[in-house]
Amino acid sequence: MPTILVNPLDETPRVSSPAAPRLASMTGTTIGLLDISKPGGNIFLDHLEQMLKDSYGVAQVVRAMKPTFTKPAPDSVIAKFIDAKCDAVIEALAD
Amino acid sequence: MVDAGAQAPGFSLTRLDGTMAQFDCGPLSKWRLLFFFETDCPTCRLAIPYINRLAQEIGDRSEIIGISQDAAPPTRELIDQAPIQFPVAIDNDLTVTKLYDPVAVPTLFLIDSDGRIAKTLEGFDKRILNEIASEMAGASITIAEPSDGAPNTRFGCTSRHLEPQADGELATAANPYAKRGGRASRIELDDSIDPFEYCLRFGDPLPVIPPTVERVERILKETSYAPDEVIAHIPPNYGAATVEKIAANAVMAGCKPEMMRMLIPLVRAVCDERFNIHGVQATTHFAAPLVIINGPIRKELGFACGSNVFSNVARANSTLGRAFQLILTNLGGARPGEIDMSTLGNAGKFSYCIAENEEQSPWEPLHVEMGLRPEQSALSLFAAESPHGVSEHMAREGKEILKAISRALATVWSYRVCAGVEALVVLCPEHVRTMSRDGFTKQTVREFLFENTGIPMRHYESGAGEGTQHVKIYKQGVIDGERCYLKFTDPSAIKLLVAGGTAGKFSAVIGSWAAGPRGSQMVTYPISTGPLF
Repeated sequence: MPTILVNPLDETPRVSSPAAPRLASMTGTTIGLLDISKPGGNIFLDHLEQMLKDSYGVAQVVRAMKPTFTKPAPDSVIAKFIDAKCDAVIEALAD
Repeated sequence: MVDAGAQAPGFSLTRLDGTMAQFDCGPLSKWRLLFFFETDCPTCRLAIPYINRLAQEIGDRSEIIGISQDAAPPTRELIDQAPIQFPVAIDNDLTVTKLYDPVAVPTLFLIDSDGRIAKTLEGFDKRILNEIASEMAGASITIAEPSDGAPNTRFGCTSRHLEPQADGELATAANPYAKRGGRASRIELDDSIDPFEYCLRFGDPLPVIPPTVERVERILKETSYAPDEVIAHIPPNYGAATVEKIAANAVMAGCKPEMMRMLIPLVRAVCDERFNIHGVQATTHFAAPLVIINGPIRKELGFACGSNVFSNVARANSTLGRAFQLILTNLGGARPGEIDMSTLGNAGKFSYCIAENEEQSPWEPLHVEMGLRPEQSALSLFAAESPHGVSEHMAREGKEILKAISRALATVWSYRVCAGVEALVVLCPEHVRTMSRDGFTKQTVREFLFENTGIPMRHYESGAGEGTQHVKIYKQGVIDGERCYLKFTDPSAIKLLVAGGTAGKFSAVIGSWAAGPRGSQMVTYPISTGPLF
């Protein structure tokens, strides 16, 4: 007689969204840099910002910081990037 | 829904004692607040302490009426457990609910002195709660601090009169009010497959008991919930923890059916935003959620609190702790090597569940400190490292024992890191007896440890290193004649528990993960005594 098991794993229905289109070039774009507020994150992002401007022709860099690295970014932080019409956002982990 | 500006409909409702009460919502000399709630809605539970605070602040100047959409027995239980400290009426035939037509619970209707609806709040929102409180108090007051660790906003649950009635109706991921999940799928194994071998893919690497339909149904009989009811969505993947899925994991861990009494509130507690299981599961740190049990349930279900309390000593501790971890991995998605990338991990991720030895403690137990009554049962969660032992067999005075403990406390997280961390101190009965003999109370123990745990400032003189960058925010003190940074910001950062066997002078210090509103805060949830939970 076959054994019938109750599936104990997550089966929550998921809605999948396609990934945002990749940028063909960074020239003239607005790039968001998200600091998750871990030690060293600002050092890494300062350097990255300079590189994006000097070597990749990025027009504008928008910086935002999460209030704590232990929790997902609140809507207000994400809104800052949306309001600035960022073409892409880079998140820095650090430590 | 009846909107702001409209005349508030009058109604009559049954009080908890069974008598009818008329609520004429015509002009009155004072403000009124209607609070529609359900007994099993986590957002309602989140809102209750704030409404209690509001009731306390405004006194007789205004009136708060809780309107329960459930029957009297579960409502009474919630009033007792939460506790609810304002008047409550029963609307389980949903007459008044239909009259006001809220989409979700909790919903607040603030009614002004002319009997008009001045403001409404659906779900939970601290800013609007403070606005409502200020209107009612006639002055600007804050009942909900923005940084107390609870979320600033949270969706509620579907109001009872709008809940889907069809059995097994699928909730869509996009609907934040959904409370029904789908039924778990069935997996058919033919005779050529060993079920024990097959089930090794479910959860921790040790063998589990196969969650057959018969075994899961036996457990489901212990609860009054529907199998597809969603108790919570567990971070970090926010998988729906339906009652059936919880039961299947309980079977696998070897739980007795009655352990469902613990598992339902445990899943609710771990999803309390203040505990922040999202961060606890995703961190590279050592933390694992430690379950602490208090009250009569310890005896009823056989939880060990004496010798070997952290070990493999009792089926109740071991299986509840294991079921909890299986649920977090299988439904929450924090699988080691995937989302859970902890650098060294924690043996507690197999099972980490202890109980307080209340019988050996001269002090009030943990759950009473956290606001519950001694006769209630409760569980608490602490984002914990492994226990670090403190042996002290030679000290003859309580103070000397506490000095030994303070040395271990100073090393929590990292020696020079102060503030932002907490610790759980597990005191063994022999140590506690000496402290109590010397006149220490729980509070004076905490204060002594706070004042005597520090790191000498000279240790910050050389070089950079973790903890040296934040000295400006550290508190200072003098310990044994030496200027020190104090390890903790406040005595409340030191949690105390009495546990362990009556022989041996071994206590333990357990470091926290990042603590406070920016990290994880200890949460305590009551456990139901009745068949309805």
